[in-house]
This record gives sequence, structure tokens and C-alpha cells, in this order.
Amino acid sequence: MNKSELIKTLAEAKNIHVDEAAAIINSFIESVKKALADGDRVEIRGFGSFKVKDYRGYVGRNPKSGVVVDVSPKKLPFFRPGKELKEYINQP
Amino acid sequence: MSGKTLTKADIVDYIYEKTDKSRTEVKVMVESLLDIMKESIKKDHALLISGFGKFEAYDKKARKGRNPHTTETITLPPRKVVVFRLSRKFRAELNPDE
Repeated sequence: MNKSELIKTLAEAKNIHVDEAAAIINSFIESVKKALADGDRVEIRGFGSFKVKDYRGYVGRNPKSGVVVDVSPKKLPFFRPGKELKEYINQP
Repeated sequence: MSGKTLTKADIVDYIYEKTDKSRTEVKVMVESLLDIMKESIKKDHALLISGFGKFEAYDKKARKGRNPHTTETITLPPRKVVVFRLSRKFRAELNPDE
């Protein structure tokens, strides 16, 4: 499923206009992204949690050509599925 | 790192400010949305949210594990796990100087 299908499914399930469903989903994602960009944790009970990890920069090497490259520091978000999601996914 | 945590209630508040629905209605919508997301991850093995990332469910094979306390060997059953892969766009937003 992609975002537009998600919007359509929510609109049908809750009997609301697709524009309204789109606004809800976009605001949902926006709030999560904003929090992560600020370095905050996100915890959605029953679904999972997100945390941004900071990686230091380092001098790496292209394993194929041996060329030395600078790998710059980066921030990457990590998702940990919640207990309910894990159990739900594993139900037959 | 500010040490704050965004919770479901905060997300509901955020959406509430942007719509003309009541807080209770928004809460119901969010719960429904999360259910749909979970169903999609289970059924399609993937949920793609452009500009954010992709949730993927994949199968892990059974493997032998060990209880580190009793050193007893056990077989861990095959199971499904969910991973999140972030989109290029979101990665770029988190790392503006890259």
C-alpha cells in the first residue's frame, strides 16, 4: 500500500472526504518528522517507536578502488516495532 | 537531543489544530489509521509513505538460540519482523549539510 491508497482506505473506513483523510495523514507524518528532526523520540503505543541516531563522520575507503573518501556525520532514524505490532504481524 | 518524546496524544493535538474536527474524533481517526497501517504491513508486507519511508515485513528463518543464563540451547521459531527504511527525501531533510 502507498500513501494515496492509505488515504483512500481511511476515507472509506471512516466515511470522510479524501481531502480530510489526506489532511489527517499528512499532519500525522509531519508531526513525526518534525519531532525526529528536533532530535526527539516518537512513541506510538501499539505501533512502535522512532529514535534518531547520530553517526560520527569517518574517513572511509572505497573497497573496490581503494580511494579514500570522507564520510560525513549523519543522522538516521530507527524504528522499533511495538509489542502489539510484532504480535499482530506474527498471527497466522 | 532535547530528550522529549512525542506521544500519540501529542500527534492527536497536532492534527486537531489543523482540522475542524473535535479532539475525540481525531483520536478515533488516528487509531483507525494505525490499524489500517498495521493491516497493510501484514497483508502487503510493505507500506510506502512517500517523503517519509517504507515499513517492510519480512520473514526470519528459524535459528538455534541459547539462553545465556542457563546455556540451554533452544530453537527460535521462524517469525516476521518489521523494519523501517527511510526515504531519500526525509534523509536529506534530517541531514541538510550533506
